[in-house]
Amino acid sequence: MLILVKAEFLKLRTIRGPWLLLAIAPLVVVAGVSGLVISGNKTLNASVQSDALAHVGLTSIIMLLFGILAVSGEYRNRTIADTYLTDPRRGTTIAAKLVVYPAIATVSAILCSIVGVLTAAAWWAGKGSSLVWSASGMRDTIVGSIVWNIGFAALGVALGALIRNLAAAIATALAWIALVEGVVGQLLGDSLGKWLPFNAGRALGASASDASSDLLSRSAGALVLIVYVLVGAVAALVAARRRDVG
Amino acid sequence: MTDISVRGLGKTYGQVAAVTDLSFTVPAGQVTGFLGPNGAGKTTTLRILLGLVRASTGEALIGGHRYDELPRPRKIVGAVLEDTGFHPGRTGRNHLRILASAGDLPAGRVAEVLDLVDLTAAADRRVRGYSLGMRQRLGLAAALLGDPEVLILDEPANGLDPAGVAALRELLRQLAGEGRTVLVSSHVLSEVAQTVDRVVIISAGRLRFAGPLTELGDGLEKTFLHLTSDPARSPDAHSR
Repeated sequence: MLILVKAEFLKLRTIRGPWLLLAIAPLVVVAGVSGLVISGNKTLNASVQSDALAHVGLTSIIMLLFGILAVSGEYRNRTIADTYLTDPRRGTTIAAKLVVYPAIATVSAILCSIVGVLTAAAWWAGKGSSLVWSASGMRDTIVGSIVWNIGFAALGVALGALIRNLAAAIATALAWIALVEGVVGQLLGDSLGKWLPFNAGRALGASASDASSDLLSRSAGALVLIVYVLVGAVAALVAARRRDVG
Repeated sequence: MTDISVRGLGKTYGQVAAVTDLSFTVPAGQVTGFLGPNGAGKTTTLRILLGLVRASTGEALIGGHRYDELPRPRKIVGAVLEDTGFHPGRTGRNHLRILASAGDLPAGRVAEVLDLVDLTAAADRRVRGYSLGMRQRLGLAAALLGDPEVLILDEPANGLDPAGVAALRELLRQLAGEGRTVLVSSHVLSEVAQTVDRVVIISAGRLRFAGPLTELGDGLEKTFLHLTSDPARSPDAHSR
């Protein structure tokens, strides 16, 4: 397993594409925090700090795409045969990806959080305020957002193993977030819609002012996302072992 | 000695039988050609042998074991598959470094196999700039990385220039001469005739002939065309 984990890191170190994708994440945070400050005449208090840092959670969509690349990318470039010829225990290969991609998502989310805090601090200072470093709402939002990023990277790996066509996997992921959860939420009502994966992630990374009855509590969101990750991981392992590589 | 043994192998995709009751052996120390028209089931058979496709019936064994039962399989089997790809943004050397790392093989083998396939000068270029022949040589380098006892090559001469084909022929003969098992599929019968000791001919997923090249009295091309011209006829396959 450790050998495969090292090989997965080496795969990532030797190409540029995934890093370019990851580089978008802090830019999204900077743009989001800046947009929040510029767009409204809000008093820059501790509650708005939490709103600003909630943009870290949105980078989980990028982590979802990053995770999809782990397996679907191998099918797209037809390197998967060489991967499975090198170690035919396919479940172990998928497990190694489920370790490596969330680990990188963790580092990325921490960096995005630092970038978000520094961006917010700069704006706050520019507006004559100062960031309240001890604000618990901001801290909870950041920690929840990091967990959301980790979970979505793992879900991306699982989705990529289940939908091996890269374009189809990405389209499915984006359509789910943009359409399906909204439609399902309307059909079933918010009481059921909040249990869906993106809404569970939103609950995790919600700002203090976003927390509402439409979303689960932060801890419940974490548990629900963990369940989705576990179910997705098991489905990915089973699919990888059973399917032909043609 | 690690031989290949295929016994009663069958594979169906829905209602379509790609391979039916296929049995043959590939001995060590010889080059065996695996021949058949397009759609005969060659690639499916090779993929089952390599554990990438599950057999519907029968078994395909390497040294008496299924591929997924082999410990450190790159040390035992090297394979070039026709549609194996490379990440276009990765260098040839890094592609091999990854396989060496994942296969727990000595990193020093990377430079050795690059030299063996005459790709050292281009090793640090991204694969997107490689010609088809260079990609084939990189695939061959990957197959040789573990210094394997068995080589399974699917159309390895595709895209190679005449000098490359000659070098490949010499390499395969050398590897078989060292006691390794070499199974190579090809469409180019004239090339096969110059390279192999034995042939396995299949058509419509069924065995038509398996035995030494010397036993094909009418020559390889004529016999091949005769055996594969009417896939519907009952298989009078013989195996020696």
